[in-house]
Amino acid sequence: MSGDKSYSLEMTGISKTFNATVRALVDVDFSVRTGEVHALLGENGAGKSTLMNILGGVVPRDSGTIRRYGNEVEIRSSQDARNLNVSFIHQELNLVPDLRVYENIFLGEEPRTPRGFLDKKRMIAETAELLDRLDIAVSPTAVVRELGATYKQVVEIAGAIRQDSDVIIMDEPTTSLTDHEIEHLFTIMRSLTGHGVSIIFISHKLKEVFTICDSYTILRDGKNAGSGAIADVREEDIVRMMVGRDLAGHEFYSARELGDPVLQVRDLSCSGCFQGVSFHVRRGEILGFTGLAGDGRSELFEAIFGARPFDSGTIEVQGKSVRIPHPTVAVAQGIGYAPRNRKENAIIHDLKIVDNVSLPSLRGFETFGLIDRTKEIANTKSYADRMRLRYSSLTDSILSLSGGNQQKVVVAKWLEAGSDIIVFDNPTQGIDVGAKSEIYELVMELAGQGRSIIVLSSEFTEVMRLCDRVYVMYHGTMVAELERDQATEENLMLYSTGVKSMYKEEATL
Amino acid sequence: MSSGTESTQGISVGERVRKVLRFLWLEYSALFALILLMVIASILNPRFLTFRNLSNITRQVSVIGIVAIGMTVVIISGGIDLSVGSVLALSAVAGMSALNATGSIVVSLLTTLAVAILLGLINGTLITRGKLAPFIATLGMMAAARSLATFFVRGGNVVGEIEAYTALSRGIFLGFRYPVYVFLMTAIVIGVLMNRTRFGRYVYATGSNEKATMLSAVNTSRVKLTVYGLCSGLVAVAAIMESATLNSISSANSGHMYELDAIAAVIIGGARLEGGRGYIAGTVIGVLLLGVLNNVLNLMDVSPFLQGFVKGLIIIVAVLVQRKSA
Repeated sequence: MSGDKSYSLEMTGISKTFNATVRALVDVDFSVRTGEVHALLGENGAGKSTLMNILGGVVPRDSGTIRRYGNEVEIRSSQDARNLNVSFIHQELNLVPDLRVYENIFLGEEPRTPRGFLDKKRMIAETAELLDRLDIAVSPTAVVRELGATYKQVVEIAGAIRQDSDVIIMDEPTTSLTDHEIEHLFTIMRSLTGHGVSIIFISHKLKEVFTICDSYTILRDGKNAGSGAIADVREEDIVRMMVGRDLAGHEFYSARELGDPVLQVRDLSCSGCFQGVSFHVRRGEILGFTGLAGDGRSELFEAIFGARPFDSGTIEVQGKSVRIPHPTVAVAQGIGYAPRNRKENAIIHDLKIVDNVSLPSLRGFETFGLIDRTKEIANTKSYADRMRLRYSSLTDSILSLSGGNQQKVVVAKWLEAGSDIIVFDNPTQGIDVGAKSEIYELVMELAGQGRSIIVLSSEFTEVMRLCDRVYVMYHGTMVAELERDQATEENLMLYSTGVKSMYKEEATL
Repeated sequence: MSSGTESTQGISVGERVRKVLRFLWLEYSALFALILLMVIASILNPRFLTFRNLSNITRQVSVIGIVAIGMTVVIISGGIDLSVGSVLALSAVAGMSALNATGSIVVSLLTTLAVAILLGLINGTLITRGKLAPFIATLGMMAAARSLATFFVRGGNVVGEIEAYTALSRGIFLGFRYPVYVFLMTAIVIGVLMNRTRFGRYVYATGSNEKATMLSAVNTSRVKLTVYGLCSGLVAVAAIMESATLNSISSANSGHMYELDAIAAVIIGGARLEGGRGYIAGTVIGVLLLGVLNNVLNLMDVSPFLQGFVKGLIIIVAVLVQRKSA
């Protein structure tokens, strides 16, 4: 492919294989014109981050070439990327909150006076000039911690511009921003492209993509799945390209007889997390909750479980209104909760397997104030056998188990505690494919026994495989309630990206 | 790795011994250090391995030993209690004053206990309700309790006027003074509490991962409150032993630096300062190790000014050695 000056960046034939087996990228082409905003789209795991990490010099590629303005370049380290004027603005910002704006912008490259002291005057003056050029109303001496979310983002962008970056990668930059702040960010992005800067915009929110982007590249399963000008496509086309052909995914599901509602939540609100959420789950039902990161579903269930205070709304369990100020009350009401980030929130590293299982139900193992170890181990063993837990001894550390088996321990814990409503947040996070299907079978089995299961997941295929009914959330509000046959990947994508809402004419951006 | 069995059948005796030794080496390396130290001491000085000397060592360490057991529970829970020395002084001053005022040993004991537990619950409340870091809350208590103790008796001593009180400490049974038995009993009772009861399990879980423990339906605030109350309760027991031994308590000096000796013993005993790991038996070994070390240095006529240096060295080496298992 011959070089072309009108392309700021061309990546051709990029391939990357991890651990000799996982093919993350296969012969991917990705070209960005000078001065455009280019959307990089795809589902989680489609290869977007790998591609950007190759560009940022974080991950080495196996094959393929990278050109800047038509000249072939080599990127082997993040330093290389920086020297080639490529900047990566990460989702979690890389700012030091207790330093001032100019200190952050010059961090690590502070100019000095001839005497060897920091040249504050010069840094402040240059920062002021830079912020002015970008039309950003922030004082160079403001402390970053006290800035609003957009301004933090903008400060990081300003830092990239100071280093003469002309390719800026923005990974989900709008996740923590309000509508107004997003507008402001977009204005700044347009001003940048006017100066010849190219922006790679990674986002799941298609409305934003259609507002700000000029062209798009879609990845699916590590391969190119489409590219072109935004003006030539509709949102539905993009969604279809991202999702691809129908995925075989119904093998776990079997229909069940559903009973009466066991948990009924009405108008639950918690400022900053979720607003006016109402839903119910029936006996024996597998209920799904999906949406993008920051949709509020995790916070919602933390609140229901008593681990997070909320402002208003009611919770009814088995038809009775209950107040749940602490997880102890939730468990007494028969609710179990397998939180996301299992390693931090669900398993207790220093405890043995059996101790992790019995923790919420220890009271039941006491005789004369002492724990009956024999009974404790016997009970745990019966769950371990039923769930085909792979372990060598139940008195081994919980860390001796694989991720999937740790998740089974978490399930056993709630079964032992007698929970008949079990909430799974991201149940297959960090679990390999084989163990995944075991967890799915387990969920199906639990529902078959009459338990109500609530699955929180941002993987659409996961909720589609398991759930009888799916709620979709967007920015803390409920936007859709879909029966199993309506819960197609297209539908889930349209609702969770804020394109459509069942409850409002026009969903907020 | 397939289906698990809880029996150890099929494992040879040699392998079992090796497993036990490996466990001891990983979890109780202080035990090996203690044995080594005792062997060296008995070679260097024949007076070391006499019953009289060993009985002396155990008596000398029993007060700090009881405090260290309380400290172990606090450290396993993920906290720290810097106020133990000051709480010992204030509760003993209160107890001795009550003894002299009423002449009743029972009233004195109850007063000591009540004052100490109250102070511990204040610590616990500041940490749970006030969301203060344990270091800060107990640092404040350390200064405040010491100040109150000296204020009440104008910086002086309270000397006991009831001779029978001293029998609590001076009594001898099978060649050992009573405080040694109190230390032993405390170790056993708290050891059982930590290993065999719901409370103990909650303490380990809270220290290991407070959020996950809370999400497993454990009231971690109540656990922590109890932990600080329990630690101070044990400090009261130590305060009683201390005041009965001397038949006097010094508001300014009693319990001075006990927090550091207690923390040192706990750490040498293999507990993790961040919480979630630790053993009462380890702490007992740590206490004995420090006691034997002091004794050996005295027997060998090492300057008392250098003893702190050796102690410091031992603490640092102990932690460096333990890192292998972390």
